[in-house]
Amino acid sequence: MNAMTNFTVKSLRANRVRTLVTIIGVALAAALLTAVMSTYTSLTDFLYRTEAATSGTWMAKVASEDNDALASDLANAQSNFSITNTALLSDVGFAELTSEQQNHLGRYQAIRSFEGDVEEVCGIRASEGRLPENSGEILLYNAWKTREKLDIGDEITFNVGHRVAVPVNGDEDAVMTHGELTLGIETDGDDETIITSGTPLDSSIGYLDAEVDNSTFNEKLVDTNKQTYTVVGFYNHMGYGLYTSVGVSAITTGAPQVADYTDVFLVMDDVQNSAEVKEKAKALFPNDHIELHSALLRFMGISSDTSIWTTFYGLIIVLSVVIILACISLIFNAFAISVAERASQFGLLSSIGATRRQIRRAVVLEALFVALVGIPLGILIGIGGCAVTFAILGPAISYVAGGGAVPFELSVDWVVLAVAVILTLATVFLSVWIPARRASTANIIDTLKSSGGSRVSKRGKKAAARAANPKKLWRSGGVAGRVFGMGGKLAKINRTRGAVKGRTAAVSLALAIVLLMTAGSLNAFLGTLVGAVTGGYVSAGDVSVSAQFSSTQSASYEETFDLPLTAEELLQVRNERFVSEAKAFEGAYEYLGETPGADGQGWTLSSVLPVIVPREMAGSAFSDSKDISGGFMKDGNCATMVNMQYVDDAAFDDYVRSLGEDPAVYHDKDHPRVVGISKAYGNDGSSYQLLTTLQNTGNVEAIGGEVYMNRYPALLGAREVVTTSGRDSADAQVWDFVPSIPHADDEVYQKELTMKDVEYVGIDLEVAKLADEPPAVVGGNGSSIMFVAPMSLAYVQGFGMEAPYFEAQFNAIDGDHEQLADDLSSRGGAYFHDEAPYEMAFYTYNDRIEELSTTQMLATIVNVFCLLFTVILALIAMANVFNTVTNSLILRRREFAVMKSVGLSNRQFRRMIMDECMSFGIAGLIPGLVISGGISYLLYAIIGQSIDGLIFNLPWGYVALAVAMTVAAMGISVAYGMHRCKADNVVEALRSDGI
Amino acid sequence: MEILSVNHLTKIYGDGETATRALDDVSFSVEEGEFIAIVGSSGSGKSTLLHLIGGVDRPTSGTVLLNGNDVYARSDEQLAVFRRREVGLIYQFYNLVPVLNVVENMTLPVALDGRKINTDRLNTLIGRLSLRGKEGSLPRQLSGGQQQRVAIGRALINAPAVVLADEPTGNLDTHNSCEIMQLLRDSNKEFGQTMIVITHDEEIALAADRIIAIEDGRIVRDERIRR
Repeated sequence: MNAMTNFTVKSLRANRVRTLVTIIGVALAAALLTAVMSTYTSLTDFLYRTEAATSGTWMAKVASEDNDALASDLANAQSNFSITNTALLSDVGFAELTSEQQNHLGRYQAIRSFEGDVEEVCGIRASEGRLPENSGEILLYNAWKTREKLDIGDEITFNVGHRVAVPVNGDEDAVMTHGELTLGIETDGDDETIITSGTPLDSSIGYLDAEVDNSTFNEKLVDTNKQTYTVVGFYNHMGYGLYTSVGVSAITTGAPQVADYTDVFLVMDDVQNSAEVKEKAKALFPNDHIELHSALLRFMGISSDTSIWTTFYGLIIVLSVVIILACISLIFNAFAISVAERASQFGLLSSIGATRRQIRRAVVLEALFVALVGIPLGILIGIGGCAVTFAILGPAISYVAGGGAVPFELSVDWVVLAVAVILTLATVFLSVWIPARRASTANIIDTLKSSGGSRVSKRGKKAAARAANPKKLWRSGGVAGRVFGMGGKLAKINRTRGAVKGRTAAVSLALAIVLLMTAGSLNAFLGTLVGAVTGGYVSAGDVSVSAQFSSTQSASYEETFDLPLTAEELLQVRNERFVSEAKAFEGAYEYLGETPGADGQGWTLSSVLPVIVPREMAGSAFSDSKDISGGFMKDGNCATMVNMQYVDDAAFDDYVRSLGEDPAVYHDKDHPRVVGISKAYGNDGSSYQLLTTLQNTGNVEAIGGEVYMNRYPALLGAREVVTTSGRDSADAQVWDFVPSIPHADDEVYQKELTMKDVEYVGIDLEVAKLADEPPAVVGGNGSSIMFVAPMSLAYVQGFGMEAPYFEAQFNAIDGDHEQLADDLSSRGGAYFHDEAPYEMAFYTYNDRIEELSTTQMLATIVNVFCLLFTVILALIAMANVFNTVTNSLILRRREFAVMKSVGLSNRQFRRMIMDECMSFGIAGLIPGLVISGGISYLLYAIIGQSIDGLIFNLPWGYVALAVAMTVAAMGISVAYGMHRCKADNVVEALRSDGI
Repeated sequence: MEILSVNHLTKIYGDGETATRALDDVSFSVEEGEFIAIVGSSGSGKSTLLHLIGGVDRPTSGTVLLNGNDVYARSDEQLAVFRRREVGLIYQFYNLVPVLNVVENMTLPVALDGRKINTDRLNTLIGRLSLRGKEGSLPRQLSGGQQQRVAIGRALINAPAVVLADEPTGNLDTHNSCEIMQLLRDSNKEFGQTMIVITHDEEIALAADRIIAIEDGRIVRDERIRR
């Protein structure tokens, strides 16, 4: 061991605690960098695996329309060593589906034939059964099993044909270009197909409907022939290759290629960027159209495109930068102080002939030692921490982010680890280099003579010069002087005249506060975000089912109504239909209630009703908020669209009783009465909150049976009407109902109508009681006036409303909400299939418990990450404070000894230190709080963009926590520093000439 | 009148095999107004003796009586008060507080005691120590000799019972050394200040009234100089 090594080792050993703190600092920095980067790589890896599992590992897709060229190109590609895997999907044909089937499967049943490793390359897997092995076997979408009751081993026959374009009006010369639109896939510009009469349409071209597309082509199936397949499996997951532009695919294999359209999926090796992937594909398939699997390439890190993930990665990068900066500051501080403390040692060493190089080597050696212990330790901690965190959170992350199909695991990338090591090493050496240079170039005599105490700032010199009047000596101590006596006065002088050190401590304190508060604010706002997602709607049941019939749309009014049509007649027709729908839903509720394990909580029927609310009843919400549906009309009354909720009688009666009312009042068939919900959510200009929509009970007028020209049934909407002539004043907010004729020819449809143009029936309705909240079965307050009525009223008066929305709530008796949801889904499907008097618009269920647990999982993930972020930042901040404060005390121990030797008592010493600490505490706290307040507001502003109703609050809990932690860290540091200073014998300290 | 009495003072550093007997049963007494030089080679124990008299260290055994009071019967707090009132310490390396200016450094013991500054005495000392015009300067802006004069001023400001100087000229050139010694000598004469100076400069020692020589922690010689 040479002299300098010896010296370094000894000085490290002599300052065990500081060495330890420095090592901890380096370890923390390395751990944090490793953790952040490993999180990044794990996430990318997870997303890659998720994408690969759902869509396959293909990088480029070649859409070939020329089978002759394809064969040779493909052979060429498969012999190319950079192509590691291929798979083919060719169109076999398309089969017609019934309109019922079309709801689940798309316009046609597309049948495609595969070749190659489609499981790996295209993510096509059988969720049940297996992939087909010959042209007589077929893999079908799961809906065939659940809806069409097909099973493995069954045979199915399709009438398979080709799609061809058919011009409208038989115009054989018509030409159209048809562009493709695919999401998540990068396409080149030449993706347009020229369509003329008889053009064969492949699976990449969407269904042609001249009316819908507003174009000149329709399509039809030709050359159909019957094909019978044996079902060998089902898939439940819609990968990219399985979805065509006209519906989901059925997959067979080895089928003769009737059609000329084939997708070739390529997996490549040794590609650096997406352009290269494309070039290679293009080189192999020069005549074909190329698409890139950009989502996958992005997660492989070889895509350069911008998307929402860029924002996400940006966030990670910003966090990393913050963490790296915090780590640099920690390590730099630790070393700068360590080297400065021994400045005179270096002076001595150079005085006895150590060269600058030797001194620098000593410092670098020290850094190397610290790094050698700290970095591996940090990497272990970082990887270990990630492993533990992911083990705990992995399932939740996997579930929330990828549906749970692919496990979320720790993925360690050695390159990334190397980057973490290099970054930490670089930080350590940078932190060491500057003080080492300073040490090695310092004037020998100066360093030897330096008493090792405080340095004096320029300002300090001036202040000292001013304080020389003997009469005023020691007078000014300020508040601190009065509170802490002589100790306080000395502290003030130290503070005002001393250079740098106090400031370093204050800066590290401010940094600590900022770091903690940033974490705290993030926590608080993300918590609100998660809360906003989780909270709000409180449902009465574990599982809810909802359904709606398609509205009465008939182009031919003559067939539906006896013309001329009056408002009274229309109202009656609509009400009859309403009753019929209500009966069907009531039956559904009863039938669903018989589901084993289901405990019915009630059902509702709701629709939107145009209502004129007298001025004296309308609440302040109509003048304050633009979010509330409705406003004041010219006559001063309020035109509004009311959320009309019919609640089943049992639930309604309970609700009314809870309001202290007699239910019988609401069942009077001749006099409709409702409960008015007086609060609704709206933005009153400052925040999103519950506003008053109704302030009095009374009679309102509902509008029904609106009809135009005794022929066209109309619909009403409440709208702010543009005032051209300024009715009363130029800026008057004037609302009115605006009729529209939805199912009529263009001429009528495009007419701008007013209420004067339509005939309607005004129906008196009494709001007999006001309540703040609707019954549980309805859920929460909405954003308009809500009326709650008993279901019995629905059978009497439907107010001419159309297509009411049915919702029923069920609890799972045995708690198995998943099973209940499944059962309700299939039972409901069966009921409506058999019993529904009209065409269903939709039937769906919501597993509220499942939704809740998903949001709770999300909340857990957010909370744990916030907590980890907070803890790690707190550790860095605390270590930094400890380093700066402790060292600023230790560096001055000789100065303290001098003061003690001339009679500074321990009490005065403590007071002096206390005062100094308080002052740099305040000097750090105040700017720290101000800055973090700003950051907090910034975060609020960013997060506030995505949710309504987020109200800016400084997270006071975190403010208190940040302050408490900082004060505690300072307390510990001071206690340790004082302990070190006190442990010094005054005599020793006085004699220790810095060595 | 006897102002200081040192009785069987022993100081052992460390313990066991590494124990060092820095002072070994040292006894002597000092009359008020005496100027004593303590001489001895390096490691003889003279600095230890000075620190024990000055109340900055505690003896292993033995007592130090200043004005008849046992110095080490005091608590640490009382000892601090003792240091600021009863003794003045002067060090080879001046040991001034770097952030305090000349007058603040000089008056620090008074300020620590919470007493009012005797401005007359301060002014007299500033004049006597040739520090006029340097009142607002910080230690770093002063030469070694000037810094040592500030340290002397700090030692004298309270008119302590005894001033203890540890090699006060050890770090100074001949010219400055003479000046500093003259100052100490003068203050001894003018203010009747009892003064104990550690030195190994024979000439300086000869300026004293009495020379105590220490070797290996024991007094080997104690003689008065006749003038």
